[in-house]
Amino acid sequence: MSDAPSDVGELTITRTFEARPEVVFECMTTPAHLTHFWGPTGVSTPLANITVEPRPGGRFETVMVNDETGEEYPMRGVFVDFDPPRTLSFTEADVAGGMTTSITFNDLGDGRTETVTHQTNVPLMLMSAEAQAGLETSFVKMDAYLASL
Amino acid sequence: MPVAADPLSLTFAALADPTRRAILARLAEGEATVNELAEPFAISLQAVSRHLKVLEGAGLISRGRDAQYRPCHFEPAPLEAATAWIVRNRQIWTDRFDQLEQHLKRITNDKTKENQT
Repeated sequence: MSDAPSDVGELTITRTFEARPEVVFECMTTPAHLTHFWGPTGVSTPLANITVEPRPGGRFETVMVNDETGEEYPMRGVFVDFDPPRTLSFTEADVAGGMTTSITFNDLGDGRTETVTHQTNVPLMLMSAEAQAGLETSFVKMDAYLASL
Repeated sequence: MPVAADPLSLTFAALADPTRRAILARLAEGEATVNELAEPFAISLQAVSRHLKVLEGAGLISRGRDAQYRPCHFEPAPLEAATAWIVRNRQIWTDRFDQLEQHLKRITNDKTKENQT
C-alpha cells in the first residue's frame, strides 16, 4: 500500500461571461483588473498585494484582506500553463498538499465566453460525489454523521 | 517543504486514500479494534496499522490506552475543518466570478461610451 494519493476529488465551476475570451483572460491575469473582483465578498485585494508573472513558472500571488478584521489571506501560486486567451492553470503547493486550479476559456462565438474552472486534489469532493451517487453506502452514513455534528 | 506541518494538508493527505476513508466511515459508527477494522478489507493487519498511523498523525482518530486492544475512535474535528475549507473555497470562487461579471459589465460599458464620444 502506498501513502501517495491514489484518487483525489475535483471541483468544477462553469460560468458564462458577456465578454470575449481575450477580455476575460486579461481580467483574470492583470492586477489592475484582479483588484476589482478577486475578493471574495467582504474581502479586498489591494493592487499592491497582487503579483502576476504571466508565463509558465511565473508567480501568481495575492494577499486578500478582510474588510472588517484586517486579517490577511495569502495565496502563493505558480503558473503551470499560461496560454492566452485559451487556458491558464496554477498550483498552490501550500494548500491541501498541492492543489491545482485550471481555467479554460471557451469562445462561444457570440461575444460571450464560457469559463470552466477545475480544481484537482480536493479529496473530500470525491467523497461527497460518491455519496451522492450511492456508490458506497458507508459514505452516506458518514455524511449523515457529519450532518449531525 | 513546509507542507507536512500544515494540519489541513495532513488531513487531505490522510483522506486521499480510499481504504483510510472506509476505515473512518466504519469508525464514525463507533469505536473498533485493529482486528475488527481489518476484517472487511483484503489487506494485512500490518497494512491496516500503517493506515491507522496516518489517520492518527492527522488527528482523525485516537487510540485507546488498553495495551492489548487499543480501540480506535473517530475524531471529527479535522474533518470539520477540511469540510469548512472546501465549502469556503467553493464560495470564494463563486463570489469571485459574480464580481468578475459585474467588473466586465463596467469595463465594457465604459468602452461603449468611449466609442460613442
